[in-house]
Amino acid sequence: MPALRGFLWLIGFLLIGDALVTLAGLPVSAGVAGMLLLTAWLVLHGGGFDAIAAAARPLIAALALLIMPGVVGIFFMLDELAGQLVAILAALLLGTLLSVLTTLWLMRRLVGDDDASTREATHE
Amino acid sequence: MSELIEHLMATPLAAVALTLAAYFAGDRLFRALRAPAWCPPILVAALLLAAALWLLGIDYADYQAGAGWLMLLLGPATVALGLPLYQQMGHIRALWRPLLLCLPIAAGMAALYAVGIAWLLGAPPEILASLAPKSVTAPIAIGITERLGGSVALMMGGLLVTGVAAIGSVGLVARWLGIRDERLLGLALGINGHALGTVRAFEIGPTAGAFASLGMSLTGILTALLLPLAWRLPGLVG
Repeated sequence: MPALRGFLWLIGFLLIGDALVTLAGLPVSAGVAGMLLLTAWLVLHGGGFDAIAAAARPLIAALALLIMPGVVGIFFMLDELAGQLVAILAALLLGTLLSVLTTLWLMRRLVGDDDASTREATHE
Repeated sequence: MSELIEHLMATPLAAVALTLAAYFAGDRLFRALRAPAWCPPILVAALLLAAALWLLGIDYADYQAGAGWLMLLLGPATVALGLPLYQQMGHIRALWRPLLLCLPIAAGMAALYAVGIAWLLGAPPEILASLAPKSVTAPIAIGITERLGGSVALMMGGLLVTGVAAIGSVGLVARWLGIRDERLLGLALGINGHALGTVRAFEIGPTAGAFASLGMSLTGILTALLLPLAWRLPGLVG
């Protein structure tokens, strides 16, 4: 049962992260703290993470599914938002387009558009 | 009929089953319709789920109480993102300098544009507070919105719209600017499109996925640290 053993690892890091965040009063969520702890642990130990990978891959693939219950709530509050819907949609759609444009433009200036990586990317 | 539904909704199983069914049905429909890449299956699935709840007359609060069991897995799933992050450590180390400069600006812009546009259009402070963490991954964004005094339900809806918009925008802008570098595409998807963008980035390739995980987690951390501070600046909400 490598997937279950890996799941225990993930929950373990989540709980340690939660404890750290609570004790230190950090504004970060327990999940992010746990993720950084897991990364640090893997860097320190190198390989030997088959069990973690067996649990991590399906969970990552299911991320979109996991936020669905919260996301659906918006359809049940459309009445309340009626007067503000244009402002909200404009902010979300236009705001996201502008910030994507800024991000990609800025990244290309700073990181550069690497040819090697582009070649790698072409054989998807 | 309504009594039976009430009985079934007493345990989380019915809500979990409904969510899974909507997810797979959305995926199926998405393939059948050959939907474009900017319209992720999750949008179709969310619409199906909302329609099913409405048709069955299930109260959203009742549904959410049960489906909360699924959202509980968001915690371990966020931790799991540490694995792709570790596997791309070489790429990240090579780029730490531009990343350090770029990420705070990009994460700040993701919040600022949306709040600015909504403010110009006259949205009240509660809505501004719900829109500000729109590019942050759900478990972190919930905490930020509560701190700023926004509505969590509106914020979660904003996450869906933002995720879809980010996937569409990255495709559009990348074609326009001629960017094919997986690292840049992944970063842009993760910074602007949180978990939905990250899922899309993993479809592009493992490098894009890892950079999206990096962008998503750093955006989450930076926004959680800086947004509550920025919110106290005068004039922004007033």
